[in-house]
Amino acid sequence: MTTIDCEGKSIREINTALRALIEAGETEIRVLNPAARHNLAVGLIQPVHLIFEGSVGYYCGGMGDEPVIDVHGSAGWGLAEGLMSGTVIVERNAGNGAAAAIRGGTIVVRGDVSARAGISMKGGTVVVGGSVGYATGFMMQKGTLIILGDAGMALGDSLYEGRIYLAGHAAELGNDAVLAEMDATDQQYLSETLSPLGYEAARYDFKKIVAGRKLWNFDKKDFETWRVAL
Amino acid sequence: MCGIVGYLDKTGKNSARLGPTLLLMLTALGRRGPDSAGVAIYAPRADDAQVLRVKLGNGGDFAARAAEVARRVGAMAAIQDQSQDEEYLKLVIGFEGDPKRLQAQIEGIGPDVEVISFGTALDLVKQVGSPRALDHRFHLEHATGTHAIAHTRLSTESRIDLSHSQPFWAHGSLDLATVHNGHITNYHKLRRLYEQRGVRFYTENDSEIIGIYLAEMLASGLSLEQAMRSSIKFFDGSFSYLAATANELGFAKDPFSLKPLIVAESDQFVAIATEEVALHAVAGEVVPTWEPPAGSVQCWPVPAGQASARVQPRSSALA
Repeated sequence: MTTIDCEGKSIREINTALRALIEAGETEIRVLNPAARHNLAVGLIQPVHLIFEGSVGYYCGGMGDEPVIDVHGSAGWGLAEGLMSGTVIVERNAGNGAAAAIRGGTIVVRGDVSARAGISMKGGTVVVGGSVGYATGFMMQKGTLIILGDAGMALGDSLYEGRIYLAGHAAELGNDAVLAEMDATDQQYLSETLSPLGYEAARYDFKKIVAGRKLWNFDKKDFETWRVAL
Repeated sequence: MCGIVGYLDKTGKNSARLGPTLLLMLTALGRRGPDSAGVAIYAPRADDAQVLRVKLGNGGDFAARAAEVARRVGAMAAIQDQSQDEEYLKLVIGFEGDPKRLQAQIEGIGPDVEVISFGTALDLVKQVGSPRALDHRFHLEHATGTHAIAHTRLSTESRIDLSHSQPFWAHGSLDLATVHNGHITNYHKLRRLYEQRGVRFYTENDSEIIGIYLAEMLASGLSLEQAMRSSIKFFDGSFSYLAATANELGFAKDPFSLKPLIVAESDQFVAIATEEVALHAVAGEVVPTWEPPAGSVQCWPVPAGQASARVQPRSSALA
């Protein structure tokens, strides 16, 4: 394992140093004093384990392919936006737009996340240990959102596909987001996904939310739903 | 892409820490907008005096203007202290009448004369330029007080000058000040309604209307928190804003959470900023941070018994 200290370095210097270490074959890197600065560890496309000893700012781990990133702190807006594969785990809270438009990988936030987590996600898995804010899963197209706490307004609004598991209470389901039956496969999936993260699925009473598919095709009988959704 | 910060000392014992804290936070956000910077600092006074800041104009003979302001104020109030720095005049006065009358007297001197702030605890300075330049001129580092709000601006729609800088004091309402990040999109419609009722707008900056609305609500008997809650429905657009009075500090976020705002709170303090990088500058990793939900409002009171805790070092131009 090697270490990079962010103190006194520009973001470009930090990211360049990270890339150089990874190119040289380093597989585990501790990053000190990230100080909630933006754009750290974006676009990493090699398997590497990064440990941020502190909070990160916007877009940490964005567009990554295969990195494993631990954040021992909180994260700002757009956490791991556009992630292709890999794992990002945040010990505290995350801001708006966490896991936006991800295509794969796993993003875990142990605290709360604010608005629009998993917006337009096209694959992958998002696990939130706390609660989520407004319009979580808005227009998600694929993948899985697991929320152990409560959800704000417009949960899963206009989702095309994918699934949301919610343990707590939703202030409101979004347009065309509907409750679906939980079956044994769902329970098994949750158990297998959450167990390695230290959560016991059996302790939660999950509800499953999926697309009602009413917005897939325009039907003038559903005009009101369209009007609200658009 | 402005940056806003707020800080309130919950213990009432760290008055001297306010200035350095504020400067650290504001500097950390400086790159969000270098156009202008300003702070509104609250320091309860032991006496009943009030602090008045006047912009003497956009140019011309500031000394003559200052003399005229002093003459007009002197006719209505007892001037205890007077200092001038270029276009800025600061007066400490004993005044018991209607603040709006005094304000009208001063602003009657010319269209470019403006009362920048007026309060029992509030002192407000702002200017074109970066937070560092603001500190260089007003020595923020030595400012003391219970709480403060501050702003660093990236202008998007209105001009860059002293009057258009933030914080905005809500004209006519003692001690009430606001800072805003975002756009109030129904500003023009609301402005027309207010102007029909005779309200004067000092700028073309949409953020100005926040203070006008809050002042109206406070005058109607609402608490600051009630007024801010009601503002969420009154305004359209994207906004995270902070408002402060002599006794309270609060934030409001628009119903879609379109603008960032992060909070760090401990037993000792509450710090609020557009980006965590500013909170990190004062709280490190010790105090957890969180982004409040869409459409939320929260206010914190200034600890009781702070009226006599004032410390005013001579080296600071503030407070």
